[in-house]
Amino acid sequence: MRLHEHEAARLFQQAGIPVPPFVVARNADEAVAALERVQIPVVIKAQVLVGARGKHGGIAVAETVEDVKAKTQALLGSSVRGLPVESVMVARKVPIARELYVGATIDPAAGAVTVLLGVAGGIEVEAAARERPEALFRRTVLPPEELRGYQARALAHEAGFSGDLMVKIADVLVSLFRVFRRTEALIAEINPLAVTADETLWAVDAVLDVDDAALFRHPELPADALARMEHPLEQAAKKIGVSYVDLDGDIGIICSGAGLGMATMDVVGQRLRPANFLETGGGITEELMYKTTHLVLEKPGVRGLLINLYGGINPIHEGAKGIVRALGERQVKFPVVAKALGNRQEETWATLSEAGVTIVTDITTEAAVDALCARLGS
Amino acid sequence: MSILLDKNTRVLVQGITGKIGRAQTKWMLEYGTRIVAGVTPGRAGEIVEGIPVFDSVLEAVRETGAEASVFFVPARGVKDTAFETLEAGIRLIVVVTEHVPVHDTMEMKTAAKRVGATLLGPTTPGVLTVGEAKMGIIPGNLFPKVPGPAGVISRSGTLSYEVGGILAKAGIAPSTVVGMGADPVVLTDLPDLLRFFAADPRTKLVTIVGEVGGVQEEMAGEYIAREFNKPVIAYVAGRSTPEGKRMGHAGAIVQRGMGSVESKVTALKKAGVAIARTPAEIGDIARRLLG
Repeated sequence: MRLHEHEAARLFQQAGIPVPPFVVARNADEAVAALERVQIPVVIKAQVLVGARGKHGGIAVAETVEDVKAKTQALLGSSVRGLPVESVMVARKVPIARELYVGATIDPAAGAVTVLLGVAGGIEVEAAARERPEALFRRTVLPPEELRGYQARALAHEAGFSGDLMVKIADVLVSLFRVFRRTEALIAEINPLAVTADETLWAVDAVLDVDDAALFRHPELPADALARMEHPLEQAAKKIGVSYVDLDGDIGIICSGAGLGMATMDVVGQRLRPANFLETGGGITEELMYKTTHLVLEKPGVRGLLINLYGGINPIHEGAKGIVRALGERQVKFPVVAKALGNRQEETWATLSEAGVTIVTDITTEAAVDALCARLGS
Repeated sequence: MSILLDKNTRVLVQGITGKIGRAQTKWMLEYGTRIVAGVTPGRAGEIVEGIPVFDSVLEAVRETGAEASVFFVPARGVKDTAFETLEAGIRLIVVVTEHVPVHDTMEMKTAAKRVGATLLGPTTPGVLTVGEAKMGIIPGNLFPKVPGPAGVISRSGTLSYEVGGILAKAGIAPSTVVGMGADPVVLTDLPDLLRFFAADPRTKLVTIVGEVGGVQEEMAGEYIAREFNKPVIAYVAGRSTPEGKRMGHAGAIVQRGMGSVESKVTALKKAGVAIARTPAEIGDIARRLLG
């Protein structure tokens, strides 16, 4: 789950990272009231969960009260990269002499945390890593190890910093690492970390993406992970306990695993257009499949349904009853093809075929797509 | 011969008294797995499917000589369970559990490396050696009774079943099928699993079933180019994955320009791996390579 900038900034601040004073405003009056604490000039930033807001008109600078009012109003009525702006962050504008990049992320190859320090800020870190690797300094930390102060100072020194500035940068790195570990983040990033002429540091942006799987033990983090997912059907899927990604075709797909789901999407995509990706994971019950079938058929324009299941951990014979119930309620007339193999496959076939579902017993997903194409007459 | 697991391996089931633990214990026993003990803290003395239950791994190991363990424990308990199991001396662990926090996984991986243990998962269907034994949830009835020459390593569970079946249908039956797990960080990396197959005389070729996200397939490409001498086939799922969307598995996401099918296929091709564009093509390629 990606946190809003102001939520991440608050957590960074609490960890001792210097963040310019800020207030969150939901209307122009709140933004003007904020000036008592924040003081002009300010930066007004749309609180939307996408990157590159600056390039897409999501960030404005204001020098007068009138300016703050007008620009807040303009931002709140707009959308940035398709997302409506519901609140803005009004933050003190700091005089930037130089920009740095600091971040912590998970290195999937090492299975460890990578701490990054870039000598140019405002960058796209992946592009920088490719194009200017010499400007990006990194250190790998194997949890439960921490990033120690001396290690952070060595990293800052390696990047060419000395004196007070080296120490201050190291402090930010250590604090950021702590937030990363404490919140169980996937990405923690300050981009840019601003350096003023008198070598004061300010985190003028804050990115924190936390692990959904760990939210159960983080009551301090925002509880509205669900509402942050964009597509309404994706939200509905999460409530059911399955995983849905909306695509732009017209063939509904239900699979009992993510890899199988992706492969099915690939194979369907060679001849037809998938309407969605859906995978149930290992939690199939009759009720889950009933809701899942309804969910996939909710999308307008679906003209065929492909069901691809394996009975490993999943009781697919139970799931079949739920599918049949939903198909009946929706009075589905278009072709439905099912390939369901594994434990208790025969019972599953019997239940589905009674409801008019075409059963494919071949192991390949291609065979199921062939059957669907045949029934669609394409 | 096989890798990781055979019919003599003494297997422990953790979380054996739960609904899934019970059901899967039954399937594993039916397949021929030598399950010697179960563990659920607080439930010592119970019997599940004829298997004695202990309170701790240490007791189970002491009483039964258990040497490998499969987890059916809730995500929040996995890290603790893994540390207990490693401390009791077990060096093969299968973590079937999904949704394990990745910071827990990193700590487990550090610990596993320190003692040289092989941990599969999290989010793995487990490991099945054809005709001998299985740890985890891979359905046995999808595979032939007699093992063949094809090693299979898969990030996905369900897709490993399909590929195993496709290979069997092509007359190139699997030897051992290994699920490496579908999380952003896996406990044992793909090159390390390939090493087991390199040393297994029965395995004549290996099929890698990859998917979008992470860098395991890229790591495998480097390793294969460097020192792997058996033919390799790879299929990477998720060609049409939209960037930034998590495709079910926590690790299946193309993000910040990393983890695309293209990047993986390029790395594997460079190492001389035969690329299948769909799972069904794997059968034809396997026949050609061994024919």
